[in-house]
Amino acid sequence: MERADAVTPDRVLVQRMQAGDERALAGLYDRHAATAYGLAMAIVREAADAEEAVADAFAQVWRTAGQFDPGRGSVAAWLATITRTRALDLVRARGRRARALDRAALGNPAGVATPLAAVDATDRGVERSEARALVAGALAALPEPQRIVLELGYFGGLSQSQIASELGEPLGTVKTRMRAALEKLRAVLAPQIAEGSR
Amino acid sequence: MTDHEWLAAAGPYALGVLDREEQAGFEAHLAGCAGCRAEVQAFREVAGLLAHGAPAAAPPAGLRERVLAEARQVRPIGRRGLPGPWLAAAAALVVALGAGAGAWRTARRAAALEREIAARDSMLAALLGPEVHVVSLASTGRAPSARVFWNQRQASFVVTAFDLPAAPAGRTYQLWAIAKGSAPLSMGTFNTDARGRAVVMLPADSAITRLGTIDLCGLTEEPAGGSPQPTEQPRLVGTWRHTD
Repeated sequence: MERADAVTPDRVLVQRMQAGDERALAGLYDRHAATAYGLAMAIVREAADAEEAVADAFAQVWRTAGQFDPGRGSVAAWLATITRTRALDLVRARGRRARALDRAALGNPAGVATPLAAVDATDRGVERSEARALVAGALAALPEPQRIVLELGYFGGLSQSQIASELGEPLGTVKTRMRAALEKLRAVLAPQIAEGSR
Repeated sequence: MTDHEWLAAAGPYALGVLDREEQAGFEAHLAGCAGCRAEVQAFREVAGLLAHGAPAAAPPAGLRERVLAEARQVRPIGRRGLPGPWLAAAAALVVALGAGAGAWRTARRAAALEREIAARDSMLAALLGPEVHVVSLASTGRAPSARVFWNQRQASFVVTAFDLPAAPAGRTYQLWAIAKGSAPLSMGTFNTDARGRAVVMLPADSAITRLGTIDLCGLTEEPAGGSPQPTEQPRLVGTWRHTD
């Protein structure tokens, strides 16, 4: 990645993409591909599917750059939403369950997310490793039942009632845990979100 | 569900974990609730950051070139809010990509998609037109609810309904345009699916387009095929307002 690209805000790159600027797409890829690929790998079972999901997601971002509205959220959140949706679509098209469900299941309290201690210190790009540490910390701080519900939903692609039957818990309990988890994450991640929306 | 209860659905909605029916209900509510839209936006950022919680994995070396090579094949779609032709261009593009992307997508599926997209395309055009009026129909602010979009220039209505149990066999729902001082005019008939939902497009006949101003819109249940005049008090009713 060129040094100059490191300071160009995401939304400016997306603006340039509207005009067909491939270098802007390359810049966005260099900044977000590792996060998108990690997310896809947590959801799908085969590396080839993760690759497909990420390629599809960037293709969609490229095609629909003109419809991106910076007033409604960050590029990173937009890309994450698209990548998650693409990855879950692929898993469903294969008639399978998300990979995350194996590890997030009750039998494995370690969950999906990276343990705090294992956050990759050698991550390229200081910003990204800061985000990783912050999110890993926020997830680790959640009570385990809340974290499990959140991970089954986000990485496992289950709806709240599917989570309830997966865990054998009442739907109301799942909803309460989900909301509590989301509220805590929102509070802890607020500074990062303010920074990301610059 | 009260507005306050809907607010609690914003986080799960942004995360993508609402059940299908709840999601449809929330989306119907979202269209008219700025508070919930802001809440969804905030939680979407939280969900976006969760991507960083996945274990680190390095993308394969060839992926960057693949993404850039695919981008060279297509032009980005034009800006948000541009009228008319981009819809057709977008539909053609989606079909082209759908046909080439995977071995399991057969030409037949592409043709079906093309028809589906063409139908959706004309519905979108009706919704996004410059002179679209909208009316929300409700009984007492609770489910069931329906919304009607009136595109005067195209002489068509798009009707969306939620939590409206399907009319029984031999019966149908019928919409009525009511202008002060004249008898209700039929806007057409439709029925909801097993989940109580409907999204349909109805052409408006010349009697309606001549009305000019429509004050009220009502929904009744009628014998299949519809009635010339309503045979019961409206189950749902709403006042027209302009979209901005």
